Amino acid sequence: MNIIKGFMTTFKHVLEEPVTLQYPEQVKDFEKRYKGRHHLRRYDNGLEKCIGCSLCAAACPADAIWVEAAENSDEERYSPGERYAKTYEINMLRCIFCGYCEDACPTQAIQLGHEHQLSFTDRRDAIYIKDMLIDAPADGQEATPRQVEAGVYTQSIPNMEDPS
Amino acid sequence: MADSKHIVLRHLDIGKPIIKLKDYEKRAGGYDGFKKAVKMEKSAVIDEVKASGLRGRGGAGFPAGVKWSFIPQNEPIKYVTVNADESETGTFKDRLIMEQNPHQLIEGALTCAYAIGAKAVYIYLRGEFWDVAHMLDERIEEARKAGYIGENILGSGFSCEVYTHLGAGAYICGEESALLNSLEGKLGQPRVRPPFPAQKGGGLYGEATVVNNVETLANVPWIMVNGADEYKKIGTEQSAGTKLYCVSGNIQKPGVYELPFDTTFRELLETVCGGPPEGRSFKALLPSGGSGPIVPLTDEVLDTRMSYEDCAAIDTIIGSASLIVMDDSVNIAWVASKVIKFFAHESCGKCTPCREGTYWLDKVLDRIMAGQATAKDIERIDDVAKNMAGITLCALGDFAANPIIHTIKHFKEDFLAMAEGKELAQAGD
Amino acid sequence: MVTPVKEDTELVTINIDGKDYQVPKGGNLVDMAKWVAGNDIPVFCYHPKMDPVGMCRMCLIELGGVARDRATGDIQYNDDGTPQIRWFPKLQTACTQTVNDGMYIKTNTEQVKEGRESVIEFLLTSHPLDCPICDKGGECPLQNLTMAHGNGVSRMYFDDKMHLNKHYPLGDLIYLDRERCIQCARCIRFQDEIVGDDVLAFHERGRRLQIITNSDPGFDTYFSGNTTDICPVGALTTGDFRFGARPWELTEVPSISPWDAAGENISLSTRLDRDFGGKAMIKRVMPRQNEYVNEIWISDKTRFGHHFTRSDNRLSKIQIRKGSNFSESTWDSTFKAVAKTLKEANGSVAAIAGGSATNEDLYELAQLVTGLGGDKLGAWSPTHTGADLVAQVGLPEGSNLGELGAGDAILVIASDLEEEVPMWRLRLKTAQDRGAYLVVANGRNTRLEELATEDPNIKGRVVDGAAIRYEAGSAAAVMANLKKSNKDIAKKLADANHLVIVAGAEGLTLEGHRALVQSAANFLIDSGHAGKVNSGLLVPLPGANGMGLHYMGFSPETTQDIAANPPKVLIVLNAEILDDDPTAKTWLSQVDTVITLGYFMDAIARESKFVLPVQTFAERDGSFTNGERRVQRFYTAQGPMGDAIPAWKAVGNIAQAADLGRAKLSAAAVMVAIAKNVAAFEGITYKVLARTERQFPDVGGDDKYYGGNAYQNTGGIGKQIALSGTAKSEKVTVPDALKAGKGEIVLLPTTRLYDRSHMFIPTVMVRSRVSLPFVHLNPKDAKALKLADGDYAEVNYDGGSVRVRAVVSDDVSVGAAVFPRKLTEKATPLVPTVGTITKVTEPAQIEG
Repeated sequence: MNIIKGFMTTFKHVLEEPVTLQYPEQVKDFEKRYKGRHHLRRYDNGLEKCIGCSLCAAACPADAIWVEAAENSDEERYSPGERYAKTYEINMLRCIFCGYCEDACPTQAIQLGHEHQLSFTDRRDAIYIKDMLIDAPADGQEATPRQVEAGVYTQSIPNMEDPS
Repeated sequence: MADSKHIVLRHLDIGKPIIKLKDYEKRAGGYDGFKKAVKMEKSAVIDEVKASGLRGRGGAGFPAGVKWSFIPQNEPIKYVTVNADESETGTFKDRLIMEQNPHQLIEGALTCAYAIGAKAVYIYLRGEFWDVAHMLDERIEEARKAGYIGENILGSGFSCEVYTHLGAGAYICGEESALLNSLEGKLGQPRVRPPFPAQKGGGLYGEATVVNNVETLANVPWIMVNGADEYKKIGTEQSAGTKLYCVSGNIQKPGVYELPFDTTFRELLETVCGGPPEGRSFKALLPSGGSGPIVPLTDEVLDTRMSYEDCAAIDTIIGSASLIVMDDSVNIAWVASKVIKFFAHESCGKCTPCREGTYWLDKVLDRIMAGQATAKDIERIDDVAKNMAGITLCALGDFAANPIIHTIKHFKEDFLAMAEGKELAQAGD
Repeated sequence: MVTPVKEDTELVTINIDGKDYQVPKGGNLVDMAKWVAGNDIPVFCYHPKMDPVGMCRMCLIELGGVARDRATGDIQYNDDGTPQIRWFPKLQTACTQTVNDGMYIKTNTEQVKEGRESVIEFLLTSHPLDCPICDKGGECPLQNLTMAHGNGVSRMYFDDKMHLNKHYPLGDLIYLDRERCIQCARCIRFQDEIVGDDVLAFHERGRRLQIITNSDPGFDTYFSGNTTDICPVGALTTGDFRFGARPWELTEVPSISPWDAAGENISLSTRLDRDFGGKAMIKRVMPRQNEYVNEIWISDKTRFGHHFTRSDNRLSKIQIRKGSNFSESTWDSTFKAVAKTLKEANGSVAAIAGGSATNEDLYELAQLVTGLGGDKLGAWSPTHTGADLVAQVGLPEGSNLGELGAGDAILVIASDLEEEVPMWRLRLKTAQDRGAYLVVANGRNTRLEELATEDPNIKGRVVDGAAIRYEAGSAAAVMANLKKSNKDIAKKLADANHLVIVAGAEGLTLEGHRALVQSAANFLIDSGHAGKVNSGLLVPLPGANGMGLHYMGFSPETTQDIAANPPKVLIVLNAEILDDDPTAKTWLSQVDTVITLGYFMDAIARESKFVLPVQTFAERDGSFTNGERRVQRFYTAQGPMGDAIPAWKAVGNIAQAADLGRAKLSAAAVMVAIAKNVAAFEGITYKVLARTERQFPDVGGDDKYYGGNAYQNTGGIGKQIALSGTAKSEKVTVPDALKAGKGEIVLLPTTRLYDRSHMFIPTVMVRSRVSLPFVHLNPKDAKALKLADGDYAEVNYDGGSVRVRAVVSDDVSVGAAVFPRKLTEKATPLVPTVGTITKVTEPAQIEG
């Protein structure tokens, strides 16, 4: 009897749709909350959200983030506030994708996206520098740094809705 | 009351201002008190003033003689500073004395200087009183020529100089230690006490200093001539003498009135000043300008005597006696907002609660006046004001909290009406 | 130990939160609560080094006292026998209270909690809360106290906040953020009370109250950086560190200032940096508490002058001369080649070392030279002498300039301490404020003279000071005849409880300075002050290790001897001989081979056969002996530059290659050898130097609000060398002052704190404060030379000439022109010399 019971189970599963995907040809859809590789975001006006405060690096339990900050000027503006990230690097080999950096960020500049295909043949390649992490400016927008009118961006920490 | 003899405003008895020294000596027995004083022992002068029960007229009501007696006798350098900053809202009595009867102030100040052995008298006037200062300078020159000022005055061996000094128009410089800072050329901010001005290290240039109000010192010549006992007969038990009451606001006959301390509010406001404007009724009273607690003008209040002790009993102060009267056309929230604007402008900024608190209160009151506030905002400013009170370096923190705390206590419905936009902000903002 | 309790201190009992404590009478309540009870009363405006002002109202407490009967003065008791306490009805500020017997305070009641919460709330109403980008974020008193005492929820409408200038430069070095400022006035009071340069002030009133500078150039003082440490918020930040790193990322390394004889204790805040090849790099320099040396202050030169350690012109490779070119080499082959050259000199070897070489470097260098049969060890520069007398009649062990006060006296002669040793000037000025009698004697007006003689009434303090102005160059004669020519002053000095004499070398030749220092020593011996704690002689020797040079056997007189009798081979360690002295090239040309160990490819390096790169104080371990003979160690902080190694290591390996014994493996091992062989250093090891002790006031803890951001001393307070020998008063022959012939004038070199030396010029941010070269003349002399103030002039002297600006005022005496050193890159006279000054009419370029 037991053997029949066993075959029944097998037979039942044969009729079911298979769960296995043929990766990488087939890619599964991710839940919205999935935490993949990081992105540095921009405001709608194309300026960088990151203010180089280093709180992500402080929050990081794996010590994977390295930030060096510098001061904006109206001639060379990266972000709306006083300060921007001159260097921003994440070591993807160290990163444990916990998302603490996202929680710590006061300007919602760093967000974990959905890309998960992170493999390297050289350890150095695992260090994602700022140029790799930051979103490209929207179509037709000037990249950063850019020259801006004096006196527009006067707040030390920008207003998130209206960055100035 | 009008028939009573004036102690300070003696020119009213004569009927015209006593400007020249000649007039003062001839018509008002000028400098008799000082002449009498310099023949007395210094300590006897202090004792006389002490016995008279003369209290400081600047607001706090500290006994003048006691203050003088704090000055260490053996210090070589001492000063007398006359507080003529008169910047309390609704106060305009000292100016009257200085304009109409200037020598009486100079005489009083010199008597004080003799009693404590001061080297110099500084009359600190608010910046707007430049014309008064010029006039006083002329009177001082006159007195110097007559031998009342300078070296070896009246052969007594006592030498003293009198100077005027103009401030730059700051309310806080009416506070004695800020006044001394300003006089020294420093920023007009109050000092940490102790040391008090009367102590070595606390006064002008670090020397022991008496700081007295103009009106206080103007009382002294009368006391010297007529004696402490005579003076004590006037007024109440704890508030001897007369007081200059400055009446302004919604009243028929505003002005300065010299009356004994045992006069009631009703006698002054209704009898002397003629009551509220036609068709209106009394609503509230600020008995001590913007800085004192507001009181609703009920019958109980009106029948209170305008003395230090009686005002304390109705939870307010007589202070410098600048009575601002409001009738029933006034929304008290508007009063509060005007007073807070004044204090936000006049806070010296030295200590945190007052500097930040007045700014904050002003901002919220602006919202209330614009009809964009809620009942919660009113509770909030009440709490903020209570937090300010009692923890500041000088009394300005309390002064600035008073108009909020007491207006909300008595007239919360006015605030609610204003906050919810039911009543339009009055013109003139 | 530096404590508020001395042997003769009267103690009183106070009660804090129900517990009794014994505290010294007259102490400040905030200080005492922290010292004896560890009770951190929160403060913003109060600072243990400054007078209380009671402005911030943060330190609210409940205050009471034992109730006494008004008439009899007897203590009143409760029924249960405990004394009755009379409490103030309102909260009181703790910072304005001095402790007295029977004082009761409560710091943990609900009323206190509410009071503090409301003060925090008030402060935050105008604060921008931009902590994420604020340089103070992470070590901010306001942040810390908000976490500890704040409500957590804001009741202020954000739109109601005031918006003000966030990047206002107070000067070249310090930026003010007016939104963050909480108007505590610590910066204003520091400048006024501690420094004496009251260049900051409040402007306006109420909420509009703002900090402004009233000097031109802005914030004109040598101590401006300290205001950023004591600022309890991020309102004052340095241009140097702006956005440099977050405080929690920094590693603090204890170190010692490499600039002057004060030996300020510092903490180097380092972090790895992309711009420095991923190596650890100094991001900022912070003060480290050492109450014996610099308390919790440092000068701006110490704070901002660290850039030379990483500058592009640092020597990073070994350079060996081949004909007129240099080629690079490796250390191993260089050690051998240098050893060979040295051996071939047959004992005709001498060394000249400068004041930035450490004790270890100097010891190894002395060993090498003597091992090779040489005996000449010269100290650079040969402008100051008298270190031997400082070793005998200097300040004895346990002395502390911070203890000088009423009843004590200080004489500063022939020195512009503001420019030479700013920390001494700060400490001596504050000693005067505490009541000491300060006499400044010089041939010209100096900043310290202005401070010493300013009208005491202006500040409302009773200060006692005097100035002696003498004819230029006659300092030695003035000191020798002080008792005759300045009777009253001399008597006051001699009768003081403690007497400190600072004997500089301004306007003096080396012989003249010797005579001055000996006269000063004689005065101390005659007045009975020699050997007494807190009394003694100080000489502002150039460099950080002037006393170390003496103890390791180097003397400036020998330098003169070397110049007179040049050896075959000369080793130069950290001495920019050709850049400093225009006359040196004459005798250096007679030296066959010069071996230079230094930081830069300077003029002497370019004339050398071997140029060896050595490490600065930042990259290595070592120790300096400061002007008060305190040996202090510093630690490795920064990543290495190129091939540079510590000088002791280079010299030790050369010695090893020359078969003079094995090279030591560590700086600590060199110190062991020093302790064994140099009598004065007996018992000194790195472990001894690393000892720390509890110091008053208790700054540097996690409670950044109490003392500011000065660091607790974890690296050691050092060890003061005991006085040696029995000094006797000796007869002094004062050499004649220089006399100028017709058409000539005596040029008197002086020291400027900010100059164009190789070490300082990489500090770009201070460059605008470095004066253009000038010569300062008395109007009488200027008239004879037809020069007016602001004219261009050419100064000619032995060994060169330079075009400068003429400054004419009677701040200098007749017959001599003050001609500061190192304001141009050309060598200008090192010691007083006779030269000529001519007016230049054509548009002249000043050689800056």
